[in-house]
Amino acid sequence: MLMAATTPQPSSAFSPAVVGGEPSDAEIMLRAKVGDSSAFDYLVQKYRRPMISFMYRMVRNAAAAEDLAQEVFLRVYRSRASYEASAKFTTWLYRIATNLAVNHARDTRHERPEVQVSLDEPDQESGATLELPDGNLTAEQVMVRRERMLAIRSKVEALPEQQRLAVVMHKYQQMDYKQIAEVLKKSESATKSLLFRAYETLREQLKEFV
Amino acid sequence: MNCNEIRERMPDVAAGFSELTVDEGKHLESCGACAEQLQAMRSTMTVLDEWQVPEPTPYFDVRLQARLREEMAKPQAGWLHWFRRPVLAAALTVILGVGVGLFFARGKISNHGQEATIVEQPGTAVSDLQALENNHDMYSDFEMLDDLDVQQDVVANP
Repeated sequence: MLMAATTPQPSSAFSPAVVGGEPSDAEIMLRAKVGDSSAFDYLVQKYRRPMISFMYRMVRNAAAAEDLAQEVFLRVYRSRASYEASAKFTTWLYRIATNLAVNHARDTRHERPEVQVSLDEPDQESGATLELPDGNLTAEQVMVRRERMLAIRSKVEALPEQQRLAVVMHKYQQMDYKQIAEVLKKSESATKSLLFRAYETLREQLKEFV
Repeated sequence: MNCNEIRERMPDVAAGFSELTVDEGKHLESCGACAEQLQAMRSTMTVLDEWQVPEPTPYFDVRLQARLREEMAKPQAGWLHWFRRPVLAAALTVILGVGVGLFFARGKISNHGQEATIVEQPGTAVSDLQALENNHDMYSDFEMLDDLDVQQDVVANP
């Protein structure tokens, strides 16, 4: 089972509805800061999928992605006392996630296994066995689809670190230029230029798949 | 509207996050290169959509809750947590080292001073030796005086 969308579906005892409109994530985090554990649970439920998918696209390993996503929430919890609502909550969250992902990638850059595709064995990195999501597809077609996905993934992963982060945040996390710029600590125009160059590189690299 | 301006907007437009403005539409009608670039970027975005990610495992929440419980069970950091900061710990170690060094150095100086002023009880062998050493010059003079007395005797009794 795969997830393509990163739409959050929070489900916890915490109810964000208050008189005067829905509170922002920053306001909810401020409640967590003063000890409201249901507010913290709400944020975890809301951002767990986006965090796991972000980490998966950054570290290429499903188990490591989950570990790192958990670490992000643990760091949020540990830092709750020092949280200031001066920036968007997601900017803060993705800055923590970005630092963790970059450090992990640097620490393990010599450990990555070669990407292999096999019909009989489960995916070495995701741990998932080969599924036939569409009943009309043959095993061969599924295999081709998976090879194609791995190739696309490898092209994104081959981008320089900052470009890859920008593409993952823009394309898959659907963050706007301003927010990406804040996470990467760059100007908005530098971020636009970074993204344009990244997509141009991908356009060249992915020509054969279009 | 120029080519650079529209290129900056292309990733958002190609990803479907925003629509073209009227000015941008007009520019694309008149600029074949930009129109082609936008179309190619749209195709790239469609290809990128194929990269999907696995669902979170059912253990994710369980493990996260367990790790959070562990975190909550940890005792609140007291004043000792300052010692975990490497720079502070190094600074304190240096200060402690210098302090201990100074303490022993002063102790030695004061012991040395005390040794110099120790006076043994008179009548003991140690005090006699000390007296001999301290008055060595004077005793040498006494020996010279003894020699003078002998010479005087010689003159008195030729």
